[in-house]
Amino acid sequence: MAAIPSLAQHKHAEHEHGGHSAQAPENHPAAAGQFDFEAPEPGTYELPVIKPAPDGAVLDTAGKTRRLHELMAGRIVLLSFVYLSCTDVCPVATAKLHSIRALSAREPDLRDNLEFVTVSFDPERDTPEALADYARVFTENNRGAPWHFLTTRSQEQVNRILDAYGQPVRRRPPDADGRADIAHLLRVYLIDREGRIRNIYGLGFLDTRLLLADVRTLLLEERRAEHD
Amino acid sequence: MHIRSRLARCIAVVATLSIAAFAGPAAADETCQSPYMAKITGEEEFVYIWTLGDEGIGDGSDKLVTVDVREDSDTFGEVIHSTSVGGRHEAHHGGLTDDRRHFWAGGLDTSRIFIFDIHTNPAKPKLVKTIDDFVAKTGGVVGPHTFYALPGRMLISGLSNDRTHGGETALVEYTNEGEYITTHWMPTDAEPAGASVEKVADGYGYDVRILPRKNTMLTSSFTGWSNYMMDFGKMLEDEAAMQRFGQTMVAWNLHTRQPEKVLHVPGSPLEIRFAWGPNHDYAFTSAALTSKLWLIYADESGEWQAKAVADIGDPANMPLPVDISISSDDSRLWVDSFMDGTARLFDITDPHNPKQIYEKKIGAQLNMVSQSWDGERLYFTSSLLSRWDKKGEDNEQFLKAYTWDGEELRTRFAIDFTEQGLGRPHIMRFGSSRLYDS
Repeated sequence: MAAIPSLAQHKHAEHEHGGHSAQAPENHPAAAGQFDFEAPEPGTYELPVIKPAPDGAVLDTAGKTRRLHELMAGRIVLLSFVYLSCTDVCPVATAKLHSIRALSAREPDLRDNLEFVTVSFDPERDTPEALADYARVFTENNRGAPWHFLTTRSQEQVNRILDAYGQPVRRRPPDADGRADIAHLLRVYLIDREGRIRNIYGLGFLDTRLLLADVRTLLLEERRAEHD
Repeated sequence: MHIRSRLARCIAVVATLSIAAFAGPAAADETCQSPYMAKITGEEEFVYIWTLGDEGIGDGSDKLVTVDVREDSDTFGEVIHSTSVGGRHEAHHGGLTDDRRHFWAGGLDTSRIFIFDIHTNPAKPKLVKTIDDFVAKTGGVVGPHTFYALPGRMLISGLSNDRTHGGETALVEYTNEGEYITTHWMPTDAEPAGASVEKVADGYGYDVRILPRKNTMLTSSFTGWSNYMMDFGKMLEDEAAMQRFGQTMVAWNLHTRQPEKVLHVPGSPLEIRFAWGPNHDYAFTSAALTSKLWLIYADESGEWQAKAVADIGDPANMPLPVDISISSDDSRLWVDSFMDGTARLFDITDPHNPKQIYEKKIGAQLNMVSQSWDGERLYFTSSLLSRWDKKGEDNEQFLKAYTWDGEELRTRFAIDFTEQGLGRPHIMRFGSSRLYDS
């Protein structure tokens, strides 16, 4: 019998949520001791502009309508799309971003220039109240860089944002236990202070050392531009 | 469960990365795709074949042909759709975006890129965008060849350039929406771009493959427009032309896109296939002109090395190996050779000592091979290049599908692309409607 195809990704690098992957646990990149290399030195390479970061209407944890561009203004942003019921790649991504934020509490350069934005693509369940509860775990230490947890008024509203960013998401029917499932490819976006996407990470690229090297590369780029 | 307590548990889980939820049945899909790509884990439903137009055959245009491979379908083994792009562009390779919603297909002659929507109706791909300024946008890159999915982007290797029409070329990145991002020129002796050079840096390109765990990208090298658009027999007699073939592979820093080492791999190394195993730091390639199988591997110090590890057929007869396909368990490697129309299977359990264990003549000429993830279904096509294909009766143009039971290839179906007025079939990719169900 054929297994159900999914948006699962090949082993030795990537995954998406869903549980239909052909990937064996021991082959998961992290379990296999992934990222067996030295991270590049910040500022020794270029990060080409990929495209402008799209805007969109969102709700913050207080239920107030905001714009993505308004929230991102003036900072380098690490933007992720998740849903709270996700039990695999979303928490992996969020935990990695959390570790960078923890570092930002000790490094003023990161704290003062970086910002985290996380948008839910499951607005029906991920209400502002639910997100506020979720966000507390990550923002209890307020000495780090700001982290905005956001949702939307409707699925249509977030779909417009997802389409604009090119974030693939597919809702699956509930399983026998009534648990809804959302298949998605993990994406994290690095956005510069001018609102341009400068890198896109899948799980295979989501090494905190690479993210930090890229953020610092953007900071060095800005400082070099100031001196020119 | 309360969100915060669930979250705390998730963070703990992430620390050790317990991933039992990811485990599932190994089933299908091609083994040679980008690891960043959405994956079919059930059986493929469709095979898309990027097909060269042939004068006097059907409408004569390059086209994307869709074949139904659902065994329970009334049209199993039949062409169910064909989309012509208008004109002949030297259709060759193509690739799927990471979300698998679009298939990008390149023309080596005109350097046009055709983007097909395969998600709205996977049984009927639709041409939705044509990139016709590739050469100008990229700063002179000609011959878009490999299309390799990165998150949100398409990485494209070129074959040539518009200054000399020789083999010096570049890697190019586009957004999934089809907008140009940047160009990375291959290292040359004149401009090695910081790479160490074993013998020569010819600047040639062909395939590109990635091993994220090692932050490594490998490229191989073929030949330029002036050769791949020349008549094959004429080129073989042209000593100067025969000197214009690639003899290098380049190990790049994937993240920075900077070349690190130019390996000497003579004889035009073509397709690259990284092993899948979590500790398998190696890839295979085949050198077309010398009929050698090469292993590219990280040595004990982590430095990339290349060595010839096996002959493919009798090199004296120039079988011209053209495509390879690695099994998902890294134990087998299929090798197609064009001149003798033969598929050979190597046991690569010891990658440093591959052993041929099976061979079968598929046709008078043979080019691409794609296998399912479980290795049980294989598909072969016949065409190499419009001016390199055999002539007369040997100019067979087909898609042939087989099952593999571990001992023998057994025919499932065959489609005669000439008889059906389609043209010269080249690269294949798998599709499934179930990828897009909601």
